[in-house]
Formats: sequence, structure tokens, C-alpha cells
Amino acid sequence: MSKVEIVGPRQLLGETLSLVRKKGDLHIEPSAVGFVDDLHKKEIHSLLPDEKALFEKIFLEDLEAKLNSLFAILPAETIRESFLAPRPIIDTVSRNLENHLAMCRTLSEKRDAIHHDLLELSSYKTFLATVSTLLEKIQLTPDLDYIGITLKDEKSEDILKESLKCLADASCELLTVPAEDGSLVGLIAATKNISEDIRELLSQKQLPEFTFPESIQSMTFVSKVEYLQKKIQESEAAIKAVDANLVEFTHRWGPMYKAALDWVREQLSIFQASAFSFETAMCFFIYGWMPAEKVAALNETLKKSFAGSVMLEEIEIRIEDLERIPVVLQNPQYFKPFENFTRLLPLPSYTSFDPTPFIGLFFPLFFGLILGDAGYGIILLLLSLMATRVARGKQLFQDAVRILKICSLYAIIFGFLYGEFLGNFGHTVLGLKPLLLDRQKNIIPMLYFAMAIGLAHITLGLAMGFVSALRRHTKKEAVVKLLNIIFIFLIVALIITFIGFFPELLTRPLIISILVLCPLLLFSGGLLAPLELLKNIGNIISYARIMAIGLTSVLLANVANQLSGLTGDIILGLIVGGFIHLIGIIIGVFSSSIHSLRLHYVEFFDKFIELGGRKYRPFSSGQEKDGGSHISQTKAEQQKNLQESRTQST
Amino acid sequence: MDKILIAFAAALAIGLPAIATAWAQSKIGAAGAGSLAEKPELSGTVIILVAIPETMVILGFVVAVIILLGG
Repeated sequence: MSKVEIVGPRQLLGETLSLVRKKGDLHIEPSAVGFVDDLHKKEIHSLLPDEKALFEKIFLEDLEAKLNSLFAILPAETIRESFLAPRPIIDTVSRNLENHLAMCRTLSEKRDAIHHDLLELSSYKTFLATVSTLLEKIQLTPDLDYIGITLKDEKSEDILKESLKCLADASCELLTVPAEDGSLVGLIAATKNISEDIRELLSQKQLPEFTFPESIQSMTFVSKVEYLQKKIQESEAAIKAVDANLVEFTHRWGPMYKAALDWVREQLSIFQASAFSFETAMCFFIYGWMPAEKVAALNETLKKSFAGSVMLEEIEIRIEDLERIPVVLQNPQYFKPFENFTRLLPLPSYTSFDPTPFIGLFFPLFFGLILGDAGYGIILLLLSLMATRVARGKQLFQDAVRILKICSLYAIIFGFLYGEFLGNFGHTVLGLKPLLLDRQKNIIPMLYFAMAIGLAHITLGLAMGFVSALRRHTKKEAVVKLLNIIFIFLIVALIITFIGFFPELLTRPLIISILVLCPLLLFSGGLLAPLELLKNIGNIISYARIMAIGLTSVLLANVANQLSGLTGDIILGLIVGGFIHLIGIIIGVFSSSIHSLRLHYVEFFDKFIELGGRKYRPFSSGQEKDGGSHISQTKAEQQKNLQESRTQST
Repeated sequence: MDKILIAFAAALAIGLPAIATAWAQSKIGAAGAGSLAEKPELSGTVIILVAIPETMVILGFVVAVIILLGG
């Protein structure tokens, strides 16, 4: 990352910012701290917008709000590019917008009102559609009264039929037809003299008559049905007409308003960025950070565009700047998916290391070491290959599939090293033999192996911490890290001597070395240094989980094989075994991932990663989309700058 | 009798840290879930906090293995 300063005549500030925005490489620094030396502090101050600029900003903000309101109403249609440049016609756009917004609001309100009515009528829709089929079947006569009902099931229908028989000696008729929602819609045709008795009976049997809106109570049953059907049709047609109007408006005026909105947003973002600029009586200054490889290109563009009157200069980065340098994660294609794990933590500081490559290398390795089953690995590989198509277009899902593919390959490799294929199935049926060691029988060697991996990993972390401390020029911290590495190796050597792998003669020199180095550790790291050392040893022991969780995974697979064998039936055995292996795969993937991540987050990164880096947010046209928080964050800084400059000017 | 005592010692060595880990993780997990509801960006920190007590049960497991096989 390079520390840069752009200088030019004041009148070219807007155009320069527009160009910088188009290039989209510069992270603008809102504060001049570290950019302006004490000698020039009095001459350079924050840029204060004049009255004209403030009015223009208020006008643009108002226009943006109105355009946003308009697009919130308009339907999401694909619109063509505008043929008009928005700048010369912005006043006309502003005037027309008032009328168009009012018209669209009226249409939208009308649509909402009809939609509201239609929602209320929708509860009648199923009944009306079903009962109209019944009405078509019968011959309608004015002497009869019609009663509509909804029945839950056929049982209710039987009860109703029985009751009607008792009441009216068959002088009424019940017709039913199943509705779309599974219920039964019934129509009772009865002579007018007994219709009230039927209604009472329905009430007693808790089969209430279908109720229509209050406003049409005076109509006959048939008229009610016809009226409501007509009203629903009219409402649907009215909504279609309003929608068609809005779509037509969008295609006609949308391109112009879209171009205007884009232009307004660009102007507002330039206004916002200009608040982070600084000025003297004649010049403007923009301070910021950008990737070193892009400095020359931007400098060339500025020179060409402004005939050399706007200059970009690289400034020397000082030690006090290190904490302020923005950070961006840049990794090769293989490591990209693993950046998702890094993003769970705050960004590393500029002087620290990007943890992504370490996760990319060690996460699949630990996953394979823990799961270590060729059968499970092949199943996971097939699943990930199948998921590749489904994941297209979904970045997070795609990354997860890529990680699973890599991890499953490691699981297959370690499966063959441990001689495991669906637990002991590979050994007993396929004759598979371990190439490295059998995890079930060699528990203690596997424990040593896991801790040896921990020793290597933690030592690597401490070594990186040593380099990181040297980079930050914190020599004391570097010495503590180095002493920790030496102590860990001495203690490990001592333990190995006690076990009997090293000659016993080494015991005394090792103990003397530890005792000699103790005061040095206390002197460089303080009273907490021994505790830090103990923590590091505890961290190494924590890698025993690689062996422990791996062992449980094998045992679960063996249980699956044994239980499927106990069933004594091929099909039942396959079902039981398959089910338990499925659980084993789910638990295996979950626990292997969680514990591998934990070993990185808690044990490894703690040794060398300094968190708390600032995110690199270049000033670009895409900033409004993904950098909303940036704008809101920097508003406070903007106000602070304005206040500072006001104080300076007074 | 010795075998029973060894098995009992190994069970205690893993059982007690397992209970302690479970208790600690339940408390941290509940607090972490509450924090995540308000600040989802703390997910990394919460994972670390939940993972820390696990070391107890791993150490217990190592001791149990040493009791059973090495002792």
C-alpha cells in the first residue's frame, strides 16, 4: 500500500475527484494526520464549501430523495440506457419530477386501495367459484330460498342431511361439491316458508350459514354471488390497468430518471469526498492510500487529463502511520474460499500477516488428520462434485463446496495412511492395510503424533510472531517470542529424555539451560512471561484433540459396521449401517471443521496475528452499494473536520 | 480391584472436566448467542470464547489415556 497525495488548483477539485472515483483505487483519508508536517499545518486546512456549493448539495439531496421515492413506486422493469446526458437537463428533470411523482403516487395509492378491497374479497373467492358451479346445475326459481354453507368434511354433510330430513320432510334439497381447499361447499334450496327454520337448525348444529358483506345483505343469494364475482373481476381489471400505466411510465421516463439518479449520486459522493479534501489559498490536497502497483497508472491518467496541473506524489510511510494503513486481503485463487474463515475475525493490522494462507494450508490438513477415512472422503467428494452445479452463482455456497472438495481429498489420503475405509470395513472386507499407523491400536503413538503436529504448528506461530514483532520494531516482544520457542524445545527435549528416547546424560544440561534462561525470560517479558509459556505448552497439548476426535470417529464407524452385521439381513444391515455411517459423516464433518478452526483461532493466530486493521475502501462508483456504512462512519469525521477548519479560520 | 480403581480414576479424569467444560460452554454459549443477536460481526470472537473451555476436557482425555494405557 502506498501513501499518496494529490495536489492541484482548487478549481479542478471536482473534476479530479470525478476521475479518481472512476478509477476507483484511492482510499481517501479524511484526516491530515501524518500527511501534513508541523511547518505547513497553518497553511493547509479542511476544505470549506461555499454558499453556492451548499445550496447545490441541498438541491441534489432533495432530488435524490425524490428520485428514490419515484423508483420505490415504479415496478422493477428492465429499462434501456438513456440517450440524454443528465447534467444539461437537470433543472427540467427536477421540475417534471414533481408532477410525475405526484401522478405515480396517486396511481400507487389507487392500486393499494383496490388491492385492499380485493384482499377482503379474496376470502369469498373459493366459495364463489365453487357455489357458482352448483348454481349452474340447478334451475333457479324465485319461489325458493338459497342458503350457502361450508362443510369441513363428509361427516358434517351426513349430519346435515339427516337433520334436514327430520325438519322438512324432503321439501328442501342439499347439493355439495368439493372446493379447492379440500372443504365441501354446500347449497341448500328450500321453500321460503321453511328457510328460517333451516337457518336456525344450522346454527344449532354449529354449521353456520356462509356470510356475505353487510352492504349486500338485502340482495337475494343469487344476486349476492353475481355481485361479488363481478366486483372481484372489476378490481382485478382495475389493478391490471394501473400496473400497465406504471409499466408504460417506467419504460417512457425510467431511463431518463435512472440516468439522473446515477448522476446525482455521483455528484453527492464527490461532495462527500470533497469534505475530506484540504486546501490552501490556491491549491487543493487529497490524501489517501492505494495499492503500490496502481500509483503509476493513476498518476499517468491525472497528467494526461489535466495537462500536468494535477500531480500525484508518493509520500514516505513513517512508523506512526503503520496503524493507519488500510488493509485488503489478496490471495491466490486456491486460498480465496478460505477468506470466509478469516472474515469471521477482525481484519489483521498492516504490519501483521494475512491468516488466510495458513488456514488454507493447515485447515484441510487437520480436517484430514481428524476424519481420516477414505470411504467418508469419497462420499464427501462425490457430494461436493454434485453440489458444484447447484452452487453456481451463489458465492458463499461455491466457496463452501470448494473447501469441502479439498478437505475430502485430504480425508481420502489420510484414510489410506490410517488404513480406514468406512471404519474397519476396508480392513476386514477389502483387505486394506494402514500405510502409516492404525489409529485404534496405536493410541499413544497417535497422541505423540498429534502433539508433534501441535509443537510444529505453535512453533511456526511463535516464529511468525517473532518476525511480526521485528517488523513493528518491538524488540522486547521479539525476544520473548524467541525465548518461548527455545523454552518449548528445551522442555520437549527434557520430556523425551525422561521417556527414554534421548540419552539420560542430556537431562542435566537441559535443566541448567532452562534455569539459566528463566531470568532472561522474566527480564524481557515481565512476571506474566512464565504464564505465557505455560499457555503455549497448554496450547500444544490441546492438539491432542486431533487424535481424540479422530478416535471417536473411527469407533463410531466400527459400531455402524458391527450393528449392521448383527442384523443378519443384507437389506436391514445396509439400512442400519448406512444410517449410522450417515450420522458419523455429519458428526465427522462438523467436529473436524469446528476443531480445526478452533486450533487456528485460539492456539495458532494468538501467537502472531495483530488484529484491528482498517478496511481498504476505495473511493469508487460501487461505494454507494457496498459502502453505506463507510459513508455513515465518515460523516462524523467530516463534521469533525469541518469544525476543526472553522476553528482554524476563526 | 486395581483394574476397577484404574478405570474409576480414568473415568473421573475425563468425566469431571467434561462436566466443567459443558457448564462453562453453556454459560458462554448463551451469552454469545445474545451478543450475536445484537452484533453479528462478533461471530469470530464468540467461536473463540466458546472453544476455550474445551481444552479442559482434552487435557482430561489425555490424563485418562495415560492412566489407562501408560500407567
